[in-house]
Amino acid sequence: MLLFFTAFPFAWMIATAFKRSHEIFTTPPTLLPESLTLENVARLFEQTRFAVYLGNSVLVATCTVLVTLAIATPAAYALTRFRFRGREAISATVLFTYMFAPIMVIIPFYVLMRTLELTNTRAGLVLAYTAFCLPFALWLLRTFFQSIPLDLEEAALVDGASRPRAVLHVVLPLALPGVVATGTFTFILAWNDYIFARVLLAADELKTLPVGIADLYNASVVDWGMIMSAGMLVLLPVLAVFVFIQKYLVAGWGSGGIKG
Amino acid sequence: MTAARTGWLLVLPALLLLAALTVYPVAYGIWISFFSKHSFFPEQQFVGLGNYAAVLADEEFWRSLELGLIYSLTTIALQLAIGVAAALLLNEAFPGRGLARAVSIFPYVVPTVVAVIIWKWLLNSQFGLVNYLLGIPVSWMGRDWIMVSLIIVSVWQFFPFVLLAVLARLQSIPPELYEAATVDGAGAWRRFVHVTLPQLQSVLFVVVLLRSIWMFTKFDTPWLMIQGGGAETYIRTLPIYTYQRTFAYYEAGRGSAMAVIMFLMLVAAAALYFHFWRREEQL
Repeated sequence: MLLFFTAFPFAWMIATAFKRSHEIFTTPPTLLPESLTLENVARLFEQTRFAVYLGNSVLVATCTVLVTLAIATPAAYALTRFRFRGREAISATVLFTYMFAPIMVIIPFYVLMRTLELTNTRAGLVLAYTAFCLPFALWLLRTFFQSIPLDLEEAALVDGASRPRAVLHVVLPLALPGVVATGTFTFILAWNDYIFARVLLAADELKTLPVGIADLYNASVVDWGMIMSAGMLVLLPVLAVFVFIQKYLVAGWGSGGIKG
Repeated sequence: MTAARTGWLLVLPALLLLAALTVYPVAYGIWISFFSKHSFFPEQQFVGLGNYAAVLADEEFWRSLELGLIYSLTTIALQLAIGVAAALLLNEAFPGRGLARAVSIFPYVVPTVVAVIIWKWLLNSQFGLVNYLLGIPVSWMGRDWIMVSLIIVSVWQFFPFVLLAVLARLQSIPPELYEAATVDGAGAWRRFVHVTLPQLQSVLFVVVLLRSIWMFTKFDTPWLMIQGGGAETYIRTLPIYTYQRTFAYYEAGRGSAMAVIMFLMLVAAAALYFHFWRREEQL
């Protein structure tokens, strides 16, 4: 019953996405499509700017992952390897900012971005996502670096390797799964977000998929076949990365990764 | 370069970004809540506590608070019940358990817009599968049922978080505890009450705290539910109303005041929660 509750809605979406328009509205409804059709998907690409939204989403999510990791990885490494004043305070603050929901920061954030003339740019959106993902990415990477024993890099340092070399050859290979997993969580957050994209972007050619799909639904005549196929396509990358992170999730590691 | 210097240098970019894009906006939000400010134009005028007075005198605010509380309390209770039950089930050994776990947590990683459109289609009043199976035309997006629909979607989307947290904790309960209880003659129910529940206490504490914060401030699920429907005022929770004040009425000052009030209520609720929890611990 549990599996039915979680899985059936997806199955129904996929079934609908492959049905011909007349079959979608027949009574009694058919569980499986009589004949598989790609006409919904075709309509999605021909009649809407789905391809543009897709491109935007891929670009924004990828940039967010790269920027977040570039900033968070060295910081997390420093937080676990160097003793300096304020280290614990920083960790605590990071966890605290993680509690802020988007709605509580979105108004001043919007005004700020407007002043910086970053509204209606993809760079602004990447910046917003980076800020939003950073606390969690830092936290996750910190726990990962903590689990790597210090002895290994100390041995490398004693053997005469410089610290950058020790990090590159000893620590990073060990931390790689953690870095990739953190990147995956960041990707999902950026890929799934609705509110930042809604508020910060107005131009149609800049919209990301969640906003674009929400607007498809707002059309006067709701084309269910097309919307279901859009939903299905948005899920594909999520499904792909989910396969990778689900073992971390089940182990209880980073279950707050997709905060919400 | 000393180790401390290197450390600071590596942390600096992250700190700067957090300061500029999280801490500063929060402070700035509190600041503009004391101003009458248009959302788009730079002019602003100091009004002291004027925005707060206006918010508290606004009937619509109290209505949205009430709706927000109904929404968050109901969804939290249901998520907890389903999440804990699902975790207990998925902790048992059976063939295909890995896949079952994966399927059960999948709704949590799905974009909200997808969760909402799937359910809007299932609950469609004319062609939806649910109404077909029920055999009666329930207007799920109408004024009487839209809150129920919203709760169904939200529970479906967010119960996996409870499931994940509880499942992780269950896996770390030493089996000896159960063996000892069994030897002492405890049945399944008593093992659950006396062994499992006490072990779950700390994780449930955190789960309830996080879920409360996130459900009370949940924006995108209710917002996407009201798109294309006329029953908007029946699920206009506090975050929705705050958003509308800012981006539909263009009152950034007043919107910020609402966000600050929302935050203060959360802090107060969290303080109470911690207080009662600690007292409970001492008993």
